[in-house]
Amino acid sequence: MTGYPEGYTSPRPEWTTGRGLYNALARRADVAAKYFAMFLLDAGGLAALWLLVTYAYAWYVLGITAYILVPWWVFALGVVEGAILWESLGRSWGQKALGRELTPVSGEATAIRRLLYFVLWNLFGLTGIGFVLVPPLHERWSGLGLRRERPSSQAPVPWYRTSAGLFVAVLLVVTLVSALGVTLTWESLRRLFTQAGQTVEFWRALVRPDTTILLDAMRDMIVTVFMAVLATLFAVAVSVPLSFLAARNLMRGPVGRPIYTILRGAMSIARSIEPIVWAIIFLVWVTALRSPFAGILALWVHSIADLVKLYAERLEAIDQGPIEAITATGAGRLSVLRYAIVPQIVNPYISFTLYRWDINIRMATVVGLVGGGGIGQRLINYIWGVQYRQAGTVMILIVILVWAIDYLSARLRAKLA
Amino acid sequence: MPTPYLVIDGLTKVYERGQVHALRGLSFSIEKGEFLVVIGLSGSGKSTLLRCINRLIEPTEGKIWLDGTDVTRLSAKRMRRVRRRIGMIFQQFNLVDRATTVRNVLTGRLGYIPGWRSLLGLFSSQDKQTALANLERVGLRDKAYARVDELSGGQRQRVGIARALMQKPEILLADEPVSALDPATSHSIMQYLEQMNRQDGVTVIASLHFLSLARRYGTRIIALKDGQLVFDGPPKTIDNAKFKEIYGEDAEEVEVR
Repeated sequence: MTGYPEGYTSPRPEWTTGRGLYNALARRADVAAKYFAMFLLDAGGLAALWLLVTYAYAWYVLGITAYILVPWWVFALGVVEGAILWESLGRSWGQKALGRELTPVSGEATAIRRLLYFVLWNLFGLTGIGFVLVPPLHERWSGLGLRRERPSSQAPVPWYRTSAGLFVAVLLVVTLVSALGVTLTWESLRRLFTQAGQTVEFWRALVRPDTTILLDAMRDMIVTVFMAVLATLFAVAVSVPLSFLAARNLMRGPVGRPIYTILRGAMSIARSIEPIVWAIIFLVWVTALRSPFAGILALWVHSIADLVKLYAERLEAIDQGPIEAITATGAGRLSVLRYAIVPQIVNPYISFTLYRWDINIRMATVVGLVGGGGIGQRLINYIWGVQYRQAGTVMILIVILVWAIDYLSARLRAKLA
Repeated sequence: MPTPYLVIDGLTKVYERGQVHALRGLSFSIEKGEFLVVIGLSGSGKSTLLRCINRLIEPTEGKIWLDGTDVTRLSAKRMRRVRRRIGMIFQQFNLVDRATTVRNVLTGRLGYIPGWRSLLGLFSSQDKQTALANLERVGLRDKAYARVDELSGGQRQRVGIARALMQKPEILLADEPVSALDPATSHSIMQYLEQMNRQDGVTVIASLHFLSLARRYGTRIIALKDGQLVFDGPPKTIDNAKFKEIYGEDAEEVEVR
């Protein structure tokens, strides 16, 4: 009755069909990607450690700024071979991060086998030749395989007794030591505690606000709120449709995945450029001094980048169950979107939007500092003009505004949860 | 001899780029009006089998004939038309938690409504009345305007049943409909399925974990193991030896009363 024998597979060799060939290639690419991700983590980590240790040593002991202190090829060779040695003989932090461990396919993982693995990984792993087969050649010939970590009955080894744990600890300490040496001097520390008097005039002005500018300042503040509202609304209009194209679970297959990758990439680039930089770009672009419009554009671009990410991540976390159920009723794609997906995302989307609006109000002030209009621009003008009393007044107003919006948006978001 | 209502022929499903075989050349057929129970361990292929029938999962190989139509060859549009005739309920209910009960029930009608009207949420008053009537039938008329996340597990599954009823299905797929429920509630849900089967003549295919439930409600049982058929027959003929063959040597039967 069952039709096919146990372990049924197609009688034709797998790779002679289109799908089979794709599967076979994809499987090899998967294995190779795992290996190279692990190698990049290990080699990158060792490189960082080398650079930091050298830097700290040069700074504190030799009193100079230096990074490698040896010929570059010694550094490169050390990092590459060090990483492979670590992966072959121990449990590297790359293996740990990816949840893999080097285990014997049969028998024991003897030192000789591990050394053999080290040599083969160099010859057939790094060159990529070994990955024509699954499992790859260096695994087959050494009898060791990179396997998923298995749950063990033994208690886990504490971090300070594993090479990966010690490595991360040393890396953190060296980073801290180098960072302190570079950014702090005894002189600046001394000043922090002795020179507070220099700012007395500023603080004194702050507590004697100039009420004559209050109306003008309020008007600028309204402009700032408007900037934030418009930037947020325009950003929502663009981000909502884009978020569907940037959600990994909705963008599958040979067409969807590239769109997803490109969009996510573009968004993270746009997000990594600060709104203040965008403001300067748009000020040049729309050529107007004291222009709220440039400020809005700056906030808009940054908000899109931020919202697309937040929205898309929410979409990726939706429950697939309702989608399945609505599809099963015979509903079309649009109906599935409307009845299975939208109800799950409406509230989170509104919540993210409010949060972003809250950020945009604060950002609108900062954007104003470089000429993007609104209250920020007024503040910076007073500061450059040494009008500390007026600057103080503006700062008090900003504090009140930000506090009020913060409170409002938090209350609204709590309601939506 | 007339052809059976549903014919599964050499159904095979392979996951993860050829690494996992969920179904291995499964073949059987069902007559109209049967209450077929599918049993087997977790991972034996029960869910995959049910989802292949309405193509929520695309089979790798094999054919599925429903009432003389090969559903594996249908275009997406035609498949949607066939899906209207196939109701489905789920282990995790798969309702939209934030929406009201009646709204969830109404979604069972979506296959019959043109796209633009469903986008605007324009259900006909007749559909609304049917939805309330179906809620009445599963004893939830008073919860019609409550949000689904306020309901208990058993009540949610009844909403699921009401949603399936909206389709006026010929066949109902029930994927472990009572696995998330306590024994008393389980019987209540199974009785609704039995009622649909006997009164409305709906063919039911349900996967179940408890053999006692399978014996009581099924008119026929099939058992899967590693994606292959290891038993096919009336409930009475499953004896202890057969049971151990399906569930493994160490298994003990647990009774649900």
